[in-house]
Amino acid sequence: MATYVARNGIGENQRRVEDFRFLTGHGHYIDDMKLENQAYGMVLRSPEAHADIKSIDATEALALDGVLLVVTGEDWKAAGYGTIPTKSGVRKFKDGSDLKEPPHHAIAIDRVRYVGQPVALVVAESLDACRDAMELIEVDYESLPAVSHQSEAIKDGAPQIWDDIPNNICLDFELGDEDAQKKAFEDADHVITLELINNRVTATPIEPRGALADYDAESGKFTLWNASQNIHANRDTIADTVLKIGKENLHHIAPDVGGGFGGKNGVYPEPILILHAAREIKRPVKWVNDRSESFLSDTHGRDQVSTVQLALDNDGTFRGLRTETVGNLGAFCGTVGPFTPTGGSSRTQGGPFRFDGIYYTAIAPFTNTCPLDPYRGAGRPEGSYQMDRIIDYAAAKLGMDPIELRRKNLIPPSDLPMKSPMGLDIDCGNFPEVFEKTIEISDRAGFEKRKEASEAKGLKRGFGVCMYLECTGGGPKEEAKVTFRDDGKVELSVGTASTGMGHETVFAQLLSGHLGIAMEDVVFRQSDTDATDIGGGHGGSRGLEVGGSAVTQTSRQIIEVGKKIAAHRFDVDAGEIEFEEGRFHVPGTNHTMTIRDAIDSQNDPDSLPDDLEPGCMNISSVFERGIISIPNGGHACEVEVDPETGTVKVDGYWVVDDFGTIVNKMLADGQVMGGIAQGLGQALMENIHYDESGQLVTGSLMDYALPRADDMPRMVIDYYEDAPTEKNLLGVKGAGEAGCVGAPPAIVNAVCDALKEYGVHHIDMPLTPEKVWQAIRDAKAAG
Amino acid sequence: MPAITVRVNGLEVTKEVGARTLLSTFIREQLKLTGTHVGCDTSQCGACVVTLDGKTVKSCAVFAWEADGADIGTIEGLADGDNMHPMQEAFREHHGLQCGFCTPGMVMTAVSLVENNPDIDEDGIRHGLEGNICRCTGYQNIIDAVKTGAKAMRG
Amino acid sequence: MYDFGIKNPTSVDDVKTALGESDDGQFLAGGQTLIPVLKQRLAMPSDLISLARVDGLSGISAGGDSISVKAMTCHAEVAANADIKSAIPALAKLAGGIGDPHVRNRGTIGGSVANNDPAADYPAAVLGLGATVVTSEREIEADNFFTGMFDTALNEGELITEISFPIPEAAGYIKFPNPATRYALVAVMVAKFGNTVRVAVTGAGPCVFRVAEMEQALTASFSPDSIKDGMVPADDLNNDIHASREYRAHLIGVLARRAVAEANG
Repeated sequence: MATYVARNGIGENQRRVEDFRFLTGHGHYIDDMKLENQAYGMVLRSPEAHADIKSIDATEALALDGVLLVVTGEDWKAAGYGTIPTKSGVRKFKDGSDLKEPPHHAIAIDRVRYVGQPVALVVAESLDACRDAMELIEVDYESLPAVSHQSEAIKDGAPQIWDDIPNNICLDFELGDEDAQKKAFEDADHVITLELINNRVTATPIEPRGALADYDAESGKFTLWNASQNIHANRDTIADTVLKIGKENLHHIAPDVGGGFGGKNGVYPEPILILHAAREIKRPVKWVNDRSESFLSDTHGRDQVSTVQLALDNDGTFRGLRTETVGNLGAFCGTVGPFTPTGGSSRTQGGPFRFDGIYYTAIAPFTNTCPLDPYRGAGRPEGSYQMDRIIDYAAAKLGMDPIELRRKNLIPPSDLPMKSPMGLDIDCGNFPEVFEKTIEISDRAGFEKRKEASEAKGLKRGFGVCMYLECTGGGPKEEAKVTFRDDGKVELSVGTASTGMGHETVFAQLLSGHLGIAMEDVVFRQSDTDATDIGGGHGGSRGLEVGGSAVTQTSRQIIEVGKKIAAHRFDVDAGEIEFEEGRFHVPGTNHTMTIRDAIDSQNDPDSLPDDLEPGCMNISSVFERGIISIPNGGHACEVEVDPETGTVKVDGYWVVDDFGTIVNKMLADGQVMGGIAQGLGQALMENIHYDESGQLVTGSLMDYALPRADDMPRMVIDYYEDAPTEKNLLGVKGAGEAGCVGAPPAIVNAVCDALKEYGVHHIDMPLTPEKVWQAIRDAKAAG
Repeated sequence: MPAITVRVNGLEVTKEVGARTLLSTFIREQLKLTGTHVGCDTSQCGACVVTLDGKTVKSCAVFAWEADGADIGTIEGLADGDNMHPMQEAFREHHGLQCGFCTPGMVMTAVSLVENNPDIDEDGIRHGLEGNICRCTGYQNIIDAVKTGAKAMRG
Repeated sequence: MYDFGIKNPTSVDDVKTALGESDDGQFLAGGQTLIPVLKQRLAMPSDLISLARVDGLSGISAGGDSISVKAMTCHAEVAANADIKSAIPALAKLAGGIGDPHVRNRGTIGGSVANNDPAADYPAAVLGLGATVVTSEREIEADNFFTGMFDTALNEGELITEISFPIPEAAGYIKFPNPATRYALVAVMVAKFGNTVRVAVTGAGPCVFRVAEMEQALTASFSPDSIKDGMVPADDLNNDIHASREYRAHLIGVLARRAVAEANG
């Protein structure tokens, strides 16, 4: 049965078209691929955090049966390949000098700088042969002093990771008006200071990274299937900048990708290494990471140490905010790594609250750790954590009510549109109403009763809230291309990258809704450099905002062409044609033409007016958004803490989000709930921990805890839909990252609320049972 | 190299397997049933869950030769052509999956949970899924799917 | 993993022969610990001697004052067994909390006890309930069985065939799981037999151990209040990224109190 979507596709909880494939075991992920004559690649990774490579001897490995190739830094030097560049949007120090970008080769040359850095690629007939060969490669390392913590790395005398980068500082940064902030601090009755650690975490999509490279010697063309979220931009970097083969010679495709969350955005070394290998051995080469390798080599996220200061008056009025951050970059600049602690973390400082002055400053140093790059939110979770933690901390210190403090200081709708002190264009929204709705649905009134019930069990109950402000949009341009095929199918190609978000459904839903064609007739293509000319991929919650707008724009253009065809048939002016639910008609007549008729006519010159060419309804358009949009929302949560063991159980969770127009609530809910789970993980259990010597201590799922079904509360997700933005064609604001922007502060606030009777007002994430227990113990000891 | 004979989704197959061939590798590489996924190397994630003589196991922690003579059920065996199993339908209805990578293990586990306890409640489902990690959904829609799937399976 | 040979003996005698024929043979029971270890190339046995097809190694039988669990019985069977649930509910609970459902469908009591992982659940049951480990050669009392980290009284080639648990008057088991692995960060088994009380702690030290001071206090009065903080000093406990020794020492007290409360119903 064909599914037709009404109302231009908006507001329909369409079930997902990709689900049948995924549910029946017919998804097509990178490790499901096997090409004829395919060889296997495996990466030998550095066990040293910082060391000179004195020599690499692969003689024995190469002599092993089935081993085809060993690639090392020496081969890289000989080939003269380029380095992997950073595309950080912030590129200047405060003083105007350029950011320090060390050479990031796909494989270590002469020196290793983090545990897990590729030292050699082994290619063999089987994975077992690869593993056997790796054990036979002899690498002579000469250890160097290492530093893993950013606060240590910037000290004088710290180990130098790059000879020409003093104090390991890649970049410093400031945003806001320091004079206004200082004046606000002088005028205010109180200045409250809190040191915050935003713990280092990793995206951990359940599908590990992997790729398959093929080389056609005759044409000189490469094909790379890659579990990546950023196919077009990374193609350009890999082909033009690194391998110098010309981007026209690299066909880059992502098959189904099993989750990403930012961790599959950047340009990684391994796909480049296997492209090189495929050309060397003239055979396809596949590489897939083990999970343990993923911990070592997937870019990490967060890892910021901040001093946050809030100035406020006796009546609770916020006056000024100052944040000083040191954000770890790892050993190299990630693809956009330096942007996260600088630009990325600065823009939403101050949240949806009124201030006289805000100032943000950051230092971004290198350390002997895996490079950092965006992880779901990339800076906004850090900003939100700083804002909503300092509010609750100040409230506790000054004996104020954290809910009332927020109420008092929220920017009223009458102030909108406005430019925030950090330069964000806040065009629309109703923060007080979103906040009140959050409090209302969380049944705040029933809290005391639930608290009594917890007390009766010997447990402490706490309530926490967060009112976040986001900015979303990612890459500003996107292409949507529609081709009406002879078999009746409609091919829709978009340059976005869905790794579980459901674009295949929601974009088809939009196209179906606009054109009145059946959902089932839409064939979706994405993440393929042959499918669209440009593609912004994934990142910044941009899918619907930019990709969905592109689909809408192309749909509208198709309708305009269709009107001309209909006008030609009925011999009227195109302006007289109306289009509704898949039909062109001339009002007041019985002249009607279906969209299918128009499509069928598009290749017949006789059916076309003079100004149209055959194939005229096959349209590709590029949508370019204006400025980034501003989602916002309230998170509320209740926790039960066992004071004897320190165990935290999140016992209730409520969210009200303003994502503008909601196109598919079911999918939006899914994004929010998944984001909350990742935020809960960061708040309570996830932690990437390097010891002082730069060894990764949490290198497997045995040591790095992820939330499971019994760690999660039931969540109630609601929306404020009365403030669609005009920054894109759909009125939407990005939904993908908001869950993990709001969850960490809401959860930590709730725990601190539960423990306030002990005098515990802050614990750094993750709030493991031991840390909670220790905080209670310390507070008791301090009296 | 030992030869093993197993029934996979009801069909008998005999294949030679290496000593160190894991059941997951056998299923994916030799039987080309790539719906069974491998998401970790320490047997934590549960993406590789299949049934072995009716019980769920992590196929990455069983050798193929240990399964000699056994009945193996994989995700590919649940649906009847275009008609999905009620549990699969429920996952689709409740948006109990996003990227789809953990999904085969999740669905195999869910079916088994309900077969063993048709009246399973929310707590039981949450505990029953402790060997399956999903990074996308936050689990709530999975829980709701299992409840609906259970109802449908009870008939 | 490294390559190895496979042996599939069908009797306890064959097991001995198979082992004799191997340079460095290793028993394979449920494989839930061993296979991940082999995958990481942390062990290199010449042969795996599978116990799966050995006759008479599986099943549960209840006697008047004890329950006997054969070595290859999986955790799920112990957790679901009606006799165990009624006679030693703490044992059923313990088995039902090992790993996850899939691990419980494969992992075996014999494999777990022989491996003696410092964070495994079963050693707490064996020691806390004062079980007898029956092997291919002899019977070993629990108190003599666990000799150190991953170390037991088993001789080279000696095979556990069953574990016999005396039925206590009351018992309780409380586990504080590691959130990543679901192994015990700390877990305490408390069991009361007439005038004797046994308290066994797993997860906290290099090897499962009894706590004499708690046992004496509980013998005097089998009540949670008898457990005082500090009865287990922190000094010799495990100290790692998952928990400090001080926290583990604290948890032992908390969990022991809760285990007594559970035993008292």
